[in-house]
Amino acid sequence: MGNKEMKWIYEEIVGKIPPFSLVSYKYSILLQLFFLLILGLILGFVFHLGLVSLLYGSLAIMVAVLWSLLILQLGPTLRRFRAPLSKDENELLEQYKGILFHRKHYEAIPGLAIFIPFMAYLFYFGTNLLEYWLGKHPHIILLLFVSLLIWDICYRMGLALWTSILALWRSVRLQQLAEKRTELEHTPYTELRSLRRLDINNVFFGIISLLLIPLFQIDRFLVTIILIFMVFISLISMISAYKVSKVPWLPPDLYNLVKDSSFAYIGTSFKGVPHVTPVVYVFDGQRIFFNTSKEAKKLKTMLKNNKVAFLIDKRDMSNIYENKAVLFTGVVKIYGLADIPLRFINMLSALSLFMRKYPEYTRKYRTSELPKAWQLTPIIARILVEVKPIKIIYWRGAKQISVPV
Amino acid sequence: MRIPDEMRNILYGNYFGYVCTSDKHNQPHLTPVFFVYDENSQKIFFITNDKSKKVKNISENPNVSITIDIRDPRNPFNNEGVLAQGKATITEKAPIYFLPEETLRLYYDIYMEFKSKYQEVIENKPLGENDVIVQINIEKMVYWRGPHFKSVRL
Repeated sequence: MGNKEMKWIYEEIVGKIPPFSLVSYKYSILLQLFFLLILGLILGFVFHLGLVSLLYGSLAIMVAVLWSLLILQLGPTLRRFRAPLSKDENELLEQYKGILFHRKHYEAIPGLAIFIPFMAYLFYFGTNLLEYWLGKHPHIILLLFVSLLIWDICYRMGLALWTSILALWRSVRLQQLAEKRTELEHTPYTELRSLRRLDINNVFFGIISLLLIPLFQIDRFLVTIILIFMVFISLISMISAYKVSKVPWLPPDLYNLVKDSSFAYIGTSFKGVPHVTPVVYVFDGQRIFFNTSKEAKKLKTMLKNNKVAFLIDKRDMSNIYENKAVLFTGVVKIYGLADIPLRFINMLSALSLFMRKYPEYTRKYRTSELPKAWQLTPIIARILVEVKPIKIIYWRGAKQISVPV
Repeated sequence: MRIPDEMRNILYGNYFGYVCTSDKHNQPHLTPVFFVYDENSQKIFFITNDKSKKVKNISENPNVSITIDIRDPRNPFNNEGVLAQGKATITEKAPIYFLPEETLRLYYDIYMEFKSKYQEVIENKPLGENDVIVQINIEKMVYWRGPHFKSVRL
């Protein structure tokens, strides 16, 4: 792909017509909306259309614009995408981008495949939709304008099919390739998150198509098609987002170190005075949690300054070249009572990981006569904290490696 | 005040220390280090590269913390450790013929201390060109064993 701009046919055309070419893509979408709306309203007044027709037209334009806002984030996001640090995953991503934004504009095919049968259905197979929208014997100019709107809608529906099917394929492949990684190969966390965000955009794309139902309410067949479309797009985008969220964001060397170690050190700082203590922690493959007593100094510090350094290491005095350590610098999320409604599952699963990783700890905390702060009363006396890394540094022997997040 | 025995035993009996520094934006940084403790001056010394992040942080903010501990993955009541907090100073670095005699003396003493403590790992590796000695003037120490804490100010 090189530096070639990743654009679809529509973006390319719009990008060449002033005034759209003069503003950023977000404003150019709003500008398009504005122009179409004005044009629609003028046509409406000239041809004495009813209020319902104007409302339906506006609804169609709104749907098209919402869809554009969602789907056109793909290009800029993928343009910013940093290359995965794994040859296979990088090749996959390049292949994905290559097909998605192919020079031959394959992305327009699904749109045409929807547009042509729909127009045929609308004009030749005697539905009452045209009459329902525009009244009896609409003027040819109105028909042209409606056809333009229909094309706008169909083209974007096609894009949604095109992008979500490709996204699912990409996510499934990425997950497979991630299992074959070695050493420090990985795709950075930020990039995995942005892929997931694009998938979630497509879930919303699917849901927004429900707004089209009023336009087709007199035709059960078309309403069914829209419902099927909605379910299809949302479902495969959700599956894709789920698959991406399961791709480890840590390369295998670090993943294993974090998974297998028993202890970590947490560094905090308040008013320039650093503080460091050992903690027990768990790792669910994606997130790192540690536990702290409600009375602990580090908790009070983290509540005032949530920047932390979190270090996990493997000590071996017999061979220092085998020593490994990983340092996560970033911020923490402290789970409190207020998080229970939304994150109860997260908190519960972290808790069960603690019990499995430190069974003796859990037992001892429970049975003995302990200071109140040490008793294992989850959430109330023991606070769950999640580490959210911004930077990762990895030491292997004497070598220091910065790992992109 | 003298450092209590149980704290001193930890300082003498362990190989790894975890040094926490903090930059001017209050962002903490953490690294494992080899260290030695000197009873006379009640200071902790470690050697590091002068290009390292901790040296950069110390020059912005001299406050540091170091934790030295014994960890038992099965029984938390056996966990034992100390946290020392204080101000760090970095020994000046220059070609040896420009260094004052006391600094040279310090380099020599600390290096010999390291050699005897970390014999197997250091062997006869000399100090590197960019190595500097960081000394921590301990101001406060916290000691824990299982759930019990104790702290002293020096």
